[in-house]
Amino acid sequence: MLTLENVHTFYGKSHILHGVSVEVGPGEVVGLLGRNGVGKSTTLKTIMGLVRPSQGRVVFEGRDIGGWAPHRLAHLGIAYVPEDRRIFRLLTVYENLRTGLDRGGITEQRKTELLEKVYENFPVLRERRNQAGGTLSGGEQQMLAIARAMMLEPKIILLDEPTEGLMPRMVTQIRHIVDVLHREGVAILLVEQNVPMTLEVSRRVYIMEKGQVRHHAPAEALREDQTMIHQYLGV
Amino acid sequence: MSGSRNLTFWTGFAVVVAALAVAPPLLPPFWERFVTEILIWGLLAMSSDILIGYTGMVSFGHSAFLGLGMYGTAAALLLLPPNLWLAMSFGLVGAAAVAIFVAYFATRLRDIYFAITTLVFSQIFYVIIFTWTEVTGGENGLTFRQPPLSIPFLFETRFSRETLHWFVLAVVVLSYLVLRRVTQSPFGKVLQAIRENEPRTRAIGYHVERYKMVAVMLSGLFAGLAGSLYAIQNKFVAPDFVFFLISGEVVIFNVMGGMGTLVGPVAGAAFFWLMREAFSRFLTEYYLIPVGLIFTAMVIFLPQGLLGFLRRRLNE
Amino acid sequence: MVIPWELLVIQLLNGVIIGMILALVASGLTLIFGIMDVVNFAHGELYMLGAYMGTTVMLTTGNFWLALGGSALTIAALGAVVQVTALRPLLGRDPLTTILATFGISLVLQNYALWQYGPVARKIDEPFTGQFALFHLQFPWYRVVIALLSAAIILALWLFMKYGKYGIWIRATTQDRVMAAAMGIPVPLVYTMVFAIGSAMAAASGVLYAPLVGINHAMGLDVILRAFIVVVVGGMGNLAGSVLAAIFISLLEALASLWVSPAQAVIVSFIVLILTLLIRPTGLFVPTPK
Repeated sequence: MLTLENVHTFYGKSHILHGVSVEVGPGEVVGLLGRNGVGKSTTLKTIMGLVRPSQGRVVFEGRDIGGWAPHRLAHLGIAYVPEDRRIFRLLTVYENLRTGLDRGGITEQRKTELLEKVYENFPVLRERRNQAGGTLSGGEQQMLAIARAMMLEPKIILLDEPTEGLMPRMVTQIRHIVDVLHREGVAILLVEQNVPMTLEVSRRVYIMEKGQVRHHAPAEALREDQTMIHQYLGV
Repeated sequence: MSGSRNLTFWTGFAVVVAALAVAPPLLPPFWERFVTEILIWGLLAMSSDILIGYTGMVSFGHSAFLGLGMYGTAAALLLLPPNLWLAMSFGLVGAAAVAIFVAYFATRLRDIYFAITTLVFSQIFYVIIFTWTEVTGGENGLTFRQPPLSIPFLFETRFSRETLHWFVLAVVVLSYLVLRRVTQSPFGKVLQAIRENEPRTRAIGYHVERYKMVAVMLSGLFAGLAGSLYAIQNKFVAPDFVFFLISGEVVIFNVMGGMGTLVGPVAGAAFFWLMREAFSRFLTEYYLIPVGLIFTAMVIFLPQGLLGFLRRRLNE
Repeated sequence: MVIPWELLVIQLLNGVIIGMILALVASGLTLIFGIMDVVNFAHGELYMLGAYMGTTVMLTTGNFWLALGGSALTIAALGAVVQVTALRPLLGRDPLTTILATFGISLVLQNYALWQYGPVARKIDEPFTGQFALFHLQFPWYRVVIALLSAAIILALWLFMKYGKYGIWIRATTQDRVMAAAMGIPVPLVYTMVFAIGSAMAAASGVLYAPLVGINHAMGLDVILRAFIVVVVGGMGNLAGSVLAAIFISLLEALASLWVSPAQAVIVSFIVLILTLLIRPTGLFVPTPK
């Protein structure tokens, strides 16, 4: 469904991605592991059109989407949950969610359903729906960021370190929502530092180093044989 | 700077100055006057480049410095014995007074706030000059006699078109050399550092506010000098020159010619006046329609101005 | 000099009315700045062209309210064109370049108006001529209506920003342009829309104010200056601050013109600006950040 073929990306003059190739099938949860600064976040940003690839192809459902504007990608069904969450701090929780709901071709009834579903999965968001996004705690903001992405009814969600800096209870809840999304057939490309969780929820895992994919294996295989994990992540 | 580049520069400089000195008397009177005026506007443009191009402070109030230079000169010529140097020093004092005022505020304001504030300041002077009819002549301005060209104790003679041109040329060339020296001095380097990164310049330990104040003063003085020359050339002053549209034109000179080059704004002024001349032939007073369009297009497509564009072309 | 208190009341009323018009112009300016970081030097020209456009519609239809609406729509379209052609390419560059570009455009628009409409001032008739007695003189109802209408338009803008779908798009874009785009909000379109709304507000104030003054091609220069002052005093990008600052400054000017000529009373607003920048450069009417 989503394929990156030999993608190169630059920030100004510094070469960040050196030919990354990644594939995500429909409804598949795929993990992307690696140390800090190896280009995991840049890979997601490149898919979302926030950084332009200088070389290589990004293909989504058969269309080359390299260089498309982000809002068109969102309409195609790609949602993005960035590392720093980037919720709209001065908008209320409800308004944050509305940014993804007010789009063409969606009925009022469907909007209500989507909202209800999110409120069910994250009851705290219902409680705080009229509170400004900036007043939420870190974990709540993370939930809001994911919930906001879900409003787009995406085919794939790009999740950038959703559990970073969260308490274990929150991590469990994020894990839960990943499962929910998976059950609904939404594909996920998950960038994480949390290795055990990534290996648990993903089907396949890519390991990156220095702007390249160095290893690619089924999560199951990595769970059983952790040598690769040790070699590239030093855990 | 390497020796050969230095040589190229001074050769070019000598050729341009010689051409400017020789050519005008060969031109018809209209065009001779035109060249003289462009030199004066060029001086004004250069003075603003110190702020806009070198320090990164876009002044939308240069008309105030220009205007006070004009009115200062006018005051001297109306009230005192007609002496060229006295008239010019009065113009400089007038401009300096405004410059101190603006410099005081310049130290606290940045970017668009500086632009808007200088604009408002120049309007204060405009309103005062426009409404204080008893002193300034209000809307009609003031007319006066041209002082004779004199070197104290040596000689005194009436200005002819040629001598006036040469006098203006001499003042403008000297000003250019002084300003060039300033921009290449350590002081000028600090100004450019402020433009590139103000917080860092401050962190290194430079007293940024003081540098900015001096930059505003310097810029204001040379703008006042331009105003003084203009008053002497035209024998009249009017509030129109203090109105902020003139400040806008000064910014146009900078953008068109290329900011931060001193020569660029002068070329920009020449380009602007030539365009104005050309377009007003068949568009009369609506010449600003094409000029405005060209200016806007240059802001978008040629942010380095004509000079930057030519330079890049030549280097390729 | 003793000022009779009736005169004082009348001047205060006039101050509020002028203040509301100014608030309407400045709201558009501050909206455009707050959301797009664009200092729109051509705002006064949009106001001026709005007034002229009002006279054109008025001539053909004879209906003031049609003139108001038609002018606002036309100038909104003009604003959209200006934004797309001149400002969209400057996105992401220094906000100072937007001052330069819009200054160039203001020259074009101003001289276009001179060319199209000539130097003779024009006038729009008041939509109604009723008056009410205020002390010893007759005060036109229309002036009161101007203030109310301006307030209504500003209120409508506020409601739109607070509850409207596009209002939420605009606010989201203001806070995080990149994330807004990732949420499927067409950011370039939002910018064009904001500029069009600001332009429409400038045009509406031009038409509303036109019956009180003559329309000429230079009227935008005076307005843009005041609007800049109001926007800075009110706090750049702050809608409520701009409204308060506009009324505050107009009241001061109205009072000052009891003693000096209106041309000189302008200096009062200059002084307010300077004091603001000295004491509280973020704006007089901005709550202190916690």
